[in-house]
Amino acid sequence: MTDTTESLTSMDFHPRPEAGVAKPWAFPAPERGTLDNGLTVLRCHRPGQQVVAVEIFVDAPLDAEPEGLDGVATIMARALSEGTTERGAEEFAAELERCGATLDAHADHPGVRVSLEVPVSRLPKALGLVSEALISPAFDADEVKRLVDNRLDEIPHEAANPGRRAAKQLYKELFPASTRMSRPRQGTEETVRAIDAGAVRAFYDAHVRPAATTAVVVGDLTGVDLDEVLAGTLGGWSGKPAAPRPMPPITADDTGRVVIVDRPGAVQTQLLIGRIGPDRHDAVWAAQVLGVYCLGGTLTSRLDAVLREEKGYTYGVRAFGQVLRSDGEGHGASMLAISGSIDTPHTGPALDDLWKVLRTLAEGGLTDAERDVAVQNLVGVAPLKYETAASVAATLSDQVEQHLPDDYQARLYARLAETGTVEATAAVVSAFPVDRLVTVLVGDAAEIEEPVRALGIGEVTVVS
Amino acid sequence: MPMGHTATAEAGSGGLTATEHRLANGLRVVLSEDHLTPVAAVCLWYDVGSRHEVEGRTGLAHLFEHLMFQGSKQVHGNGHFELVQGAGGSLNGTTSFERTNYFETMPAHQLELALWLEADRMGSLLAALDDESMENQRDVVKNERRQRYDNVPYGTAFEKLTALAYPEGHPYHHTPIGSMADLDAATLEDARNFFRTYYAPNNAVLSVVGDIDPEQTLAWVEKYFGSIPGHDGKPAPRDGALPEVIGEQLREVVVEDVPARALMAAYRLPEDGTRACDAADLALTVLGGGESSRLHNRLVRRDRTAVAAGFGLLRLAGAPSLGWLDVKTSGGVEVPAIEAAVDEELVRFAAEGPTAEEMERAQAQLEREWLDRLGTVAGRADELCRFAVLFGDPQLALTAVDRVLDITADEVREVAAARLRADNRAVLVYEPVENEADGADEAGDAADRDDAEGADQ
Repeated sequence: MTDTTESLTSMDFHPRPEAGVAKPWAFPAPERGTLDNGLTVLRCHRPGQQVVAVEIFVDAPLDAEPEGLDGVATIMARALSEGTTERGAEEFAAELERCGATLDAHADHPGVRVSLEVPVSRLPKALGLVSEALISPAFDADEVKRLVDNRLDEIPHEAANPGRRAAKQLYKELFPASTRMSRPRQGTEETVRAIDAGAVRAFYDAHVRPAATTAVVVGDLTGVDLDEVLAGTLGGWSGKPAAPRPMPPITADDTGRVVIVDRPGAVQTQLLIGRIGPDRHDAVWAAQVLGVYCLGGTLTSRLDAVLREEKGYTYGVRAFGQVLRSDGEGHGASMLAISGSIDTPHTGPALDDLWKVLRTLAEGGLTDAERDVAVQNLVGVAPLKYETAASVAATLSDQVEQHLPDDYQARLYARLAETGTVEATAAVVSAFPVDRLVTVLVGDAAEIEEPVRALGIGEVTVVS
Repeated sequence: MPMGHTATAEAGSGGLTATEHRLANGLRVVLSEDHLTPVAAVCLWYDVGSRHEVEGRTGLAHLFEHLMFQGSKQVHGNGHFELVQGAGGSLNGTTSFERTNYFETMPAHQLELALWLEADRMGSLLAALDDESMENQRDVVKNERRQRYDNVPYGTAFEKLTALAYPEGHPYHHTPIGSMADLDAATLEDARNFFRTYYAPNNAVLSVVGDIDPEQTLAWVEKYFGSIPGHDGKPAPRDGALPEVIGEQLREVVVEDVPARALMAAYRLPEDGTRACDAADLALTVLGGGESSRLHNRLVRRDRTAVAAGFGLLRLAGAPSLGWLDVKTSGGVEVPAIEAAVDEELVRFAAEGPTAEEMERAQAQLEREWLDRLGTVAGRADELCRFAVLFGDPQLALTAVDRVLDITADEVREVAAARLRADNRAVLVYEPVENEADGADEAGDAADRDDAEGADQ
């Protein structure tokens, strides 16, 4: 085409530019303190961040939920913002939104997290409301019943979502049925139905107290007397001292096998392949982060290079490590997983390719070039990733709930830069051994069962 | 002034500034300096979206956006992704009805690389575009469609609603993802022609925001983009103008394998860039934004007939905007009960308007959203491009929040009375098949999947 030729030649081409001189950047170091009531505070001034983020972590883990009441931590977390002894649920929500604030509260294995974001000028007001919620929640019987019913309504939506359905099955497969970790974080229909205001109040009384709480405050704090703000809010909370709760050991059965969750007529198969691995306290973590990125961190990583960019089987497959819980004593664990969606007819060939990618990696290892690009990305994106107050607060709060030192993230970047190709290879290969992976496939069993069996990647069972 | 409050000491622009420049080939450039963090965002908006597509070629703009990441004259295959990520940057591209955007957020010292990469593909994409990448990305995009729309409950709701709300033949009748049949039918020659027609410097706006030296940045922009020839072969998009109200209630009932009944509706609203659109935004916020909205209070808290209830606004400049109602029913509740309650609330709101307190809340929420959007270099770069492309003036991005705060309760009531009416909506009802077994944010279909990781139950 003549037009084509014209557009190929009509601009001036220049050689690819070299990078300028990097400017120093470091993950922010918070200042740690304790209020008189035992509540821990981490604060961090971030110039220019007009929306302040407050992350509050309460050491009220899911394994503390009473037998048969899975989900009570979730209902309690949600009920915190549904009315206090001073104001009803509607007024509470209205007052928060009047501040331009957003509030989220949820329960996970390590504990309850309450996240507030608000323009700095309205921090005292909004933090006052959040404190009110923590100090004097109403837990009105009718409001709790509403939250229980609402939660029951959510469950079928989750079951219909392929990603959520796959996760539920994987946890059930990996962890012993007797452990909390094997069961849905927010409870099942049966357990949620059993929750009432009394159960919520009992969980609160047993676990929610200032001595078990850490608040992380990040943002542009110029002109804010944070000590005064805290004294007038969270500082007014009183409660008994809290003893740290011992964490139950985490074990998992990662015998290589395949579970197909039948979803007749599905045009894609949702895949989730996982097992458990070490937490961030383990010296291997940095190398594992690096190796897992090379395997499946982005669309130029090994998995997508084949499954997406060569074969077109998927919009994208990712590998990741996600800490489940840590106690800082070496008993923690993370979920190591590969997830993505494959069109139904290519499910067998895609899994075959995925296993080939893992085998090739185990046999030949990573290249130095792969390792270098990964380090440059993981370390280089830090200033972008931590531009907002919310992202800094979330990471600091993760460190708190995982019993990590406050400078963990800063040191992780240094560790990543020191980690070599051999170390990264060893870490990712031991993270994803081909015979120790539990594969969950949410898809059309009639279409995918036979091709998957033929792969010989483990015993195949079909559930509905 | 009943609503004099602002969250920042300095409202509106918050002290931000932007400068505008134009190269000889027509490329408009917007620069905004901010040295808080050593990062720089590059954003490039091409004035082409799914509204420019022709019959039989829906999805072409978005498929083409994927092809922009498949190499150009000096950049091999996936080199664009590799180079940006290897420099510690992040990147993506998205396609909507009215535009296609490409963006890189870089450590400040790597800014020049991002400019070089964008210029290389603007000027020489066709040197690398071949059948192999076309066939591969066609499959990737079809899988994107399956993953985000076809394989999730209610996944095609937005597609159905826009098809109802904008008549057959209207440029916004179809969504950016396109149909499977059209994706199959697209040819390499279609893609080449698309590039020749729309990917020209005079059909684009480039913004660079962050820790930059404006003079140096402009010199780099001139060096890399300056020699790319402009051309004027772009046909005007088909007219998107429509009467202010639909004039009747349109309705479609879908019986599908969904977990619960749902009531969705699309209301025809004023075009983006008008006071009336900002007023509509506030009306939808009072009625269905957040946990203190009228619909949430009525349906979720009091009647307890819904799991979730809310309103969203899709701002459009070249056609009426869309107010999107989404209610998922609770337990065995039937849709007519929900519909009656929604109508009651809308009628009352149209008659009485918002209370002073509701206005204050809604304005505080929208102000906060603006603070978030302008609070990152990437968000600011995108907004500067948006206002430059759609309204001809990037400075409007920096004062957008002032305009929202300037709206009165009367204007909010007026727009609600005029537009949030039964004869101005397309209704979509979901009924589950037999017993039981989120609507997506449709702003854009992206080149790369969302990197959010996790496997929560």
